[in-house]
Amino acid sequence: MNLNQVTVVPVFPLWLILVLFALGLGATFVQYRLIRAKLGSSRALGLSLLRLGAITFLVAFALNPSLLTTKEHKVSPVVGLLIDTSESMAQPEANGKGSRLDETKALLAKGPNPLLTSLREKFDIKLYGLGESLKILSTDELSGLKAEGAKGDIKGALRELSGKTSVAILFSDGNVKWDDTPTPGLPVLVVPLGNPTEYKDILIKAVRAPSLGFRGREVVIDVTVRGYGTSGLMLPVLLKDGTKLVTAKNIRLPIPSPGETTVSLSFTPEEIGQKNLSISIPEQFGESLASNNHVNLSLKVVRDKIRILMVSGTPSMNYRFMRTALKNDPSVDLLSFVILRTPTDILNVPTQEQSLIPFPVETLFAKEIRNFDLLIFDNFNYSLYLSPHHLESIREFVRGGGSFAMIGGPELVNEGRVGFTPIGEILPVRFPDREKYRRGSPSAVRVSRSGNTHPITRLTAETMGEGITPTSFWREMPSLDGVNLFEPKSSATVLLESADGSAWPILIVSPFGKGRVLALGTDYSWKWYTGRVAKGRGNLAYLRWVDRMVRWLTKDPSLDPVQVTFPENSGFAGQEIEVRVQLQEEESSLNLGAPITFSVFNPDGLKIDSKIRPSVLPGEYLASFAPQKTGIYKIRIETSSGQFEESIVVAGVLDTLDAAPDHESLKAIATKVVSTHEGLLNEIEAYARKGETRFSEEKRSPLWATPYAMVAVLGFLVTEWYYRRRWGLI
Amino acid sequence: MSFTAGALFSRPTISLPASFPQFFFAQLKYSGGDWDPNPQFVEAITEELELRTSIDGMQERRVITPTDGDLFFCPFLFMAGKYEFDPWTPQEREILRRFLTHGGFLFAEDTVGAKGYGFDLAFRREMKQVLPGHDMKKLPTDHSVYQSFYLIGSIGGRQRVNPYLEGITVDEWTPVIYSQNDLTGAWSKDKSGKWAHECTPGGELQRSAAFKMGLNIIVYSLTSDYKKDVIHHPFIKRRQSL
Repeated sequence: MNLNQVTVVPVFPLWLILVLFALGLGATFVQYRLIRAKLGSSRALGLSLLRLGAITFLVAFALNPSLLTTKEHKVSPVVGLLIDTSESMAQPEANGKGSRLDETKALLAKGPNPLLTSLREKFDIKLYGLGESLKILSTDELSGLKAEGAKGDIKGALRELSGKTSVAILFSDGNVKWDDTPTPGLPVLVVPLGNPTEYKDILIKAVRAPSLGFRGREVVIDVTVRGYGTSGLMLPVLLKDGTKLVTAKNIRLPIPSPGETTVSLSFTPEEIGQKNLSISIPEQFGESLASNNHVNLSLKVVRDKIRILMVSGTPSMNYRFMRTALKNDPSVDLLSFVILRTPTDILNVPTQEQSLIPFPVETLFAKEIRNFDLLIFDNFNYSLYLSPHHLESIREFVRGGGSFAMIGGPELVNEGRVGFTPIGEILPVRFPDREKYRRGSPSAVRVSRSGNTHPITRLTAETMGEGITPTSFWREMPSLDGVNLFEPKSSATVLLESADGSAWPILIVSPFGKGRVLALGTDYSWKWYTGRVAKGRGNLAYLRWVDRMVRWLTKDPSLDPVQVTFPENSGFAGQEIEVRVQLQEEESSLNLGAPITFSVFNPDGLKIDSKIRPSVLPGEYLASFAPQKTGIYKIRIETSSGQFEESIVVAGVLDTLDAAPDHESLKAIATKVVSTHEGLLNEIEAYARKGETRFSEEKRSPLWATPYAMVAVLGFLVTEWYYRRRWGLI
Repeated sequence: MSFTAGALFSRPTISLPASFPQFFFAQLKYSGGDWDPNPQFVEAITEELELRTSIDGMQERRVITPTDGDLFFCPFLFMAGKYEFDPWTPQEREILRRFLTHGGFLFAEDTVGAKGYGFDLAFRREMKQVLPGHDMKKLPTDHSVYQSFYLIGSIGGRQRVNPYLEGITVDEWTPVIYSQNDLTGAWSKDKSGKWAHECTPGGELQRSAAFKMGLNIIVYSLTSDYKKDVIHHPFIKRRQSL
């Protein structure tokens, strides 16, 4: 201790301390004068000095004298180790050290001289995993670290570490997000992983495909293929629908490698619905990664218009009102032919006075039939015009997914042998041998049990009227003045039947092959239009009924009892996918109170966890599931009236993973690139020392608080007391 | 179930529910004037319909009033007259408006052909009330009614008052077609089967044209603007240029 280490911090103002000292000095002098007469000058002086000493000490305490000691500390630099954990770090290396991440782990924690141990001796080490986000790691977590997920945002990570660490060490293969803008002011040392020169891979780098296509219109999908170590290689790019090959094209990868080439694959979808497509490239020998040779994508195929070919055997009210209904629908493209005269009718005018046009049967029924969605024969005696091969063409059209409706009338009377033709094969009805058409005995209709729930005959409440059931709605329809006496086939579903007598089926439907067929056993359905108009109820019911017949026949998704809406962009593995489920009004009313179940099956066919809950909208539910792997997921919705299935393609990060080591990017990121163990230690040392910090700690010890000070004061007072007693003052 | 011509003079009694053929004539009866100037027009035109077209027409005429519940099941409403008739009631007008704007069809004839007088005056007056905002206009030469079966160049009729038909078109459908040439007069036969009237001034050619026009009107009433479909255009143009 030396005096310059002593500081005073007065507890009272200095003037007050001086006043106190002056008072003490004055009191001592007064005491001296009082006792000098009794004891003499020398003894009085001695006792007064002892008193003065005690007062001086006590007053000096008010100055708060302290002893100041200073201690200097040195802080170890913080070094941040960033380990890239993105998917590409899982790629194995040719040197047999396992994956790039395994190599990193070995460098840090294994071997005779682990880097992590060496660094910990000198620095404060912080471990971070650089995946989709920056995650702090403990040393114990290092061994279990996995390479998965998207590319890490290195710039964001460095920004986060700036100010917290002296230097950042990045262990990466270069597959990180980097935008070439200046890095935050933090030295970055990079340990590159992977070997770009030995890396061999072919990947589908990008796919540009529409999510919506139109039936019968070409869909073009652009595929960009990138190759590493594949200079000039020729290989096919395949487009598949499920397992069926749709189209393929050969490409030649550019010279030199790496390089990219883009190919356009085109096809024309013939069927509407959800298509689960895939684009693939056969795996090549020595490829590092095969999973990026394959990409799943989904395409929803819709029709731009419902194309209908209608042939009527005669001008009739039935034709006119059905034409009105079909023309009323902007989504319908109608081509109709009306047989204005039969071969036996007289045509007593020259050609220039006729408006009749030839009936192009060969063009329509042999060549162009597949361009239509629905074929309607309306009271049409087709045996007069169509040959057997046309009929076969119609049958194959329906078998392949087309739809066919036959509307009755007296012209069908001649079709007694229809059962032996291809048309008879597809129709849902048979023609009895006895009476085939009955006119003049008006017959009311009633809806069957099936018709009560079928989308064709169960119209919406808006159409039928609030509170009106299908039974009462159809019962009130005007009677029919002519009916074909069909017999339904066992595979058919009768929706409407005559309410009088023998319950002849009036409206019958059934599937055939991939298509659907319908038979309407009357040429008087137009009375359902005019009859309601006569009662002041408008024509909406007839228009909707025709619309629903057309949409049911053509499998229009708008008529599906359950509508499933997927997110605009199909989800990714690991992300929750939300699906909107809407029950149609009629389905919703049938399903009142009944549970709706939602199940999801992964690409292996195993059921996975899913949730469903009602939304705030009537009949709408929100369902969700979290797919863990890529592929086609099947979704099953069960309601009281049946089950409905849809599928969704779940893409994965790996699908388009470019795992090639990108050391050029690392050079742009790095303040310095280092690779050897020793070199790394030296570089870290050099950069870390620049950031080394020191600080001084000051300690203040009050002197008056020590026992010595108290002893000194007491010493003065006790000594004074002793001599006073000895000299007879006490 | 057919009606003879004799049955036409008294209104047939039809028990409900009535049965309606796919095609028959329903004639509108009204008060005042003369609602039935050509009572025997049905037979000949229906025969021609059968002979020349695929339409299964019934030789039947039903007499109907606007308030008759069967009105809306009549494919072809016909109305004729010579003289001015009594105005329809608001209810009758409302029913006819609903009928004509929801697919119904009316063919009307002024069998006298006196413009601005008698039936012509009353009919135009009533149509303005039934379909306000829709004027009676000359049908253009490319109207579907001139092309629905024959390519019509001449209207024909018992008399040659107008070389055109008139009509009221609502959207693309003409629910009212009006003639002053007395087509039904040209179709009419007497009880002995002879033509009831001479056609002047064109004689039998004029009668033949009247039948063609009649068939076209009937086919139009059952097919609407079918002949306007794109597929018919090139054929019709080619034939018209022959």
